[in-house]
Amino acid sequence: MLVSWSTIFEAFLETVQMVSISFIFSVILGLPLGILLYVTRPGQILENKIIFTILNGVINVFRSLPFIILLVAIIPVTKFIVGTSIGTEAAIVPMVFFAGPYISRLVESSLLEVDEGVLEAADAMGATPMQTIIKFVLPEAFGSLIVNFTISIIGLVGASAMAGTVGGGGIGDLAITYGYQRFDTVTMLITVVILIIMVQGLQSAGNKFARVVRRR
Amino acid sequence: MIEFIDVDKTYHGSDAPIHALDDINFKVDTGEIYGVVGYSGAGKSTLIRCVNQLESVSAGQVIVDGKDLTALAPTELRVTKKRIGMIFQHFNLLNSKTIYTNVAMPLILNKTPKNEIKKRVAELLEFVGLSDKASQYPDQLSGGQKQRVGIARALATNPSILLCDEATSALDPQTTESILELLRKINKEYNITILLITHEMSVIRDVCHKVAVMENGKIIERGSVFDVFSNPQTETGRRFVNTVMQTELPAYVRELIQEQDNSQFIYRINFISKLAVKPYLSQISKLYDLDVNVLFGNITELQGVPFGNLIVQFDGSHDELKKALLYLEENNVQYSEVNTYAG
Repeated sequence: MLVSWSTIFEAFLETVQMVSISFIFSVILGLPLGILLYVTRPGQILENKIIFTILNGVINVFRSLPFIILLVAIIPVTKFIVGTSIGTEAAIVPMVFFAGPYISRLVESSLLEVDEGVLEAADAMGATPMQTIIKFVLPEAFGSLIVNFTISIIGLVGASAMAGTVGGGGIGDLAITYGYQRFDTVTMLITVVILIIMVQGLQSAGNKFARVVRRR
Repeated sequence: MIEFIDVDKTYHGSDAPIHALDDINFKVDTGEIYGVVGYSGAGKSTLIRCVNQLESVSAGQVIVDGKDLTALAPTELRVTKKRIGMIFQHFNLLNSKTIYTNVAMPLILNKTPKNEIKKRVAELLEFVGLSDKASQYPDQLSGGQKQRVGIARALATNPSILLCDEATSALDPQTTESILELLRKINKEYNITILLITHEMSVIRDVCHKVAVMENGKIIERGSVFDVFSNPQTETGRRFVNTVMQTELPAYVRELIQEQDNSQFIYRINFISKLAVKPYLSQISKLYDLDVNVLFGNITELQGVPFGNLIVQFDGSHDELKKALLYLEENNVQYSEVNTYAG
């Protein structure tokens, strides 16, 4: 094994940092966009063809790009935002651009699952569009949102591995530089096991949380 | 008060436009329970949704408590909607919230102070008989209980009107009965005007004062429940009345009518109001030399009053029959001779 346990631990922390920070920013970006997609969709409470079409198109463009390409393609943007295109912080920018639109799409589909009848009840009560979203739609979609957030956070763990390409660090980086490029099978195995445990842990935590929210 | 003036609603579907409401004119007076009955697709669901503007109309006016809702700005409309409660076939409760929060929701939207909400919700849950369920969730409740929560929620803001969209259609007969009882109580105790739509004529019979029959987006018949039940004017109206009380003569009666000889007379005797409980027929057979044979009959209850008719065969002489009929007339009992026609 070419790396020490402390290096592995450090890499693990870097992954946690990258994933959690980019997840938070992705939700900050994706949740409002997802809600906007939902409300402006034809037939919905704030139907707006122009906003919906543009937003829908832009999100589709980002969703079409594989992460490894997005990572390179938006280097100028990354440089503008964090001042550099190399390192953990630099990796977070493309991760947000990757997961943000993804989350907005998942949020949209979660909200669309909410029973039409609930919207009708909100309308009959004279709820404003804002109240409809906050008091009716989001609480009803909460369980589904948790499930979809779990999916996106796991997607980010995967993306973080590729962030090694821009020197992003983390477990994935370790696996590529030592396990792959230097044929260090032990490091490779260890990183794989860590990634599996991470993903499993996140998935079961997400499921559990969703179950609590849905009370079943 | 609810009034529809020349209301039209057209959906522009992918192919031909659909005329959901076609020249609707009707009025529901304050304190009334007004029922709209029709088969699915008749337009009754669209009709009730126009009352609180869940659906906008294509033409015409919808006047509620003196205001034309079709002319209101969104903000004003939202205020008006709070004066109109609505309950739904599938209850439309928030599954993620407790019964308490569900009932409190209209008040929360109004930013009512918490202590007032608490008081009002306790009152409402008491009224619908679910005080012990406040901290439970909708999926822990039966259908009837969920509808009670829906009713409590609809009443939270003290509306003057309650709209019931097939409110009992998803419930079993016994639960339906208890929900209808509750609607009657709401109407009586709070003098809330109720407009309900249903495809069950029994609901109309049990709670409504007035009824309108809808077909193909039009109101084809309307009147007091009593009038429509006793004398439906349209084929659809007749069919609906027949679902709860058979007005057509059964085949065996028709056969008997055809076979009757000179000493047999078949009459239809209408029972309306309290007359129905008096023993006229047994009196007739005692007073006159006539045998009385009830061939067929049905008596139902309309708004607490017995209502129905009997098909009776009198066996005896023509003179005796005349006396008997006079006796009925003296007692204000309506009768008519049944001929071979089916009615």
